[in-house]
Amino acid sequence: MSLYEAPVQTLIDELGRLPGIGPKSAQRIAYYLLKATPEDARRLAAAITDAKARVTWCRRCFNIAQGELCSYCQDDRRDPSQLCVVEEPRDIVAVERTHEFRGRYHVLQGAISPIEGIGPEQLRVKELVRRVGEEDVTEVILATNPNIEGEATAMYLARLLKPLGVTVTRPASGLPVGGDLEYADEVTLGRAFEGRREVDT
Amino acid sequence: MHLATLELRDFRCYEAAALELPAGVIAITGANGQGKTSLLEAAGWIALGHSFRGVPDHALVRQQAERAIVRAGVHDGESIRRADVELRAAGRHRILVNGNPVSRTRDLLGVLRVTVFAPDDLQLVKGGPADRRAYLDELLTSSAPRYASVRADLDRVLRHRNALLRGGVRDAEARATLAVFDDQLVHTAGQLARGRLRLLDRLAPAVHDAYQRLAPDQGTVDAVYEAEWSPDGPPGEEDVDTQLRAALERHQRQEIERGLTLVGPHRDEWHLTIGGRESRTHASQGEQRSLALGLRLAAHRVVTEVVGTQPVLLLDDVFSELDHARSRALVAALPDQTQTVITSAGALPSGVTPSLHVHVHAGRILDRAPA
Ligand SMILES: [Zn+2]
Repeated sequence: MSLYEAPVQTLIDELGRLPGIGPKSAQRIAYYLLKATPEDARRLAAAITDAKARVTWCRRCFNIAQGELCSYCQDDRRDPSQLCVVEEPRDIVAVERTHEFRGRYHVLQGAISPIEGIGPEQLRVKELVRRVGEEDVTEVILATNPNIEGEATAMYLARLLKPLGVTVTRPASGLPVGGDLEYADEVTLGRAFEGRREVDT
Repeated sequence: MHLATLELRDFRCYEAAALELPAGVIAITGANGQGKTSLLEAAGWIALGHSFRGVPDHALVRQQAERAIVRAGVHDGESIRRADVELRAAGRHRILVNGNPVSRTRDLLGVLRVTVFAPDDLQLVKGGPADRRAYLDELLTSSAPRYASVRADLDRVLRHRNALLRGGVRDAEARATLAVFDDQLVHTAGQLARGRLRLLDRLAPAVHDAYQRLAPDQGTVDAVYEAEWSPDGPPGEEDVDTQLRAALERHQRQEIERGLTLVGPHRDEWHLTIGGRESRTHASQGEQRSLALGLRLAAHRVVTEVVGTQPVLLLDDVFSELDHARSRALVAALPDQTQTVITSAGALPSGVTPSLHVHVHAGRILDRAPA
């Protein structure tokens, strides 16, 4: 038996599946939406379907893209010899804000996390290895988050990539430990990029 | 350091209460269940970020109320700091330090420091290894806050590693992932183990001294670390990483079979001996009680030395369990110049001369005339 009318319950369930939205927030947002005008509701629904239809994953780096390649992969002025590996597309935004990096990106779409059942095979790791083999990459910068999962992912990748003959570096410590790249301010992150060091395996 | 003001709203049985606390000894008397311990528990929350009795936050909120508020003013040398905590019946707590919101409980720690003596401290001596590990790790964290994140990291590494081991480690990817978490385990476990070993070197003589003051002429008290991953006796600080790594290799097959991390400080033990006898099994109840008190006094001394400021002593109903001689010995062993808050259901032990004596009844502080 449900406490709500079926359509309302469906809406609450769907909202509750979004990251960072608990049951209470889902309920609050659902009631907000029900009070909104039909035009407002249609506009939100359209924004979601439109974004979903027009935005895809870049087939080279797995960043968000409109079309085959993302804007960084299309930009010829970017240095193809440096490849910066991040967990999520939003981390690219954080790195870009520092103005310290002019190379290309590779988005893993997550980090190794056995608790959540995420191993290397659930991430874009094979694609990364292929790129390092096929493109003119000389340095791979592992800019995964400075927490347990990000460190584990960086260590895993370093061991995989070093035998391929590339230099593997990691932004210097000084980033807030246990934090997310996304929340690091651009000066700190910029300094960490400048002071990046070769990963010791 | 001294707790100057304490204000409660809807905390436990208190609807609203406020107390100004002088330096010296503060006595809180009253029958059981009237709110003596709750006052200490509120002060303890400010210092520790949780109830020292292990009560979840929502259960600290007075029945029918939505939130409890604890405010404290702390004097430390020249500085005066304020901490305000709001605990909710549902949802996360909120903390203000000097009026500014802080997002992590960790940022509250250090505003007030306490050493808590509680009736169940006897478990430190009589109980299992988990109680003694918790004592050591709490002391480590209060003397060096970075160990809070070391412990959190180790916890997370263990959860990841156990999940991985439960999965069976069948293919090359899983083996390579396990190798990475082995490194992380050695890294975090090594830091914690070295921290504990260094702390124990400092703690053992302090426990010995404290015990001698409580029960003279009973023999040397010593503390010895024991780790399965170091089979030939207590590990040396500089060998910790090598030994952990070797143990991981030795136990790998067994760990995969059981789907569990068997190597690391989460399974370690440390023993207290009196004159060479194991205190857990070969000491009298009286000796064990004195030793438990000695552990608290020693922790107080270690924190005082390392941090450079004296924590406030909170003695929760400790004297009722002690015979006359032990009571007197404890009163004599309490450090001078330290603010000390004592609760008691009966008469105060002899030798205690409070600078403030309050009586509590049914969640109200009745009189607060200086004695
Ligand atoms: Zn791209």
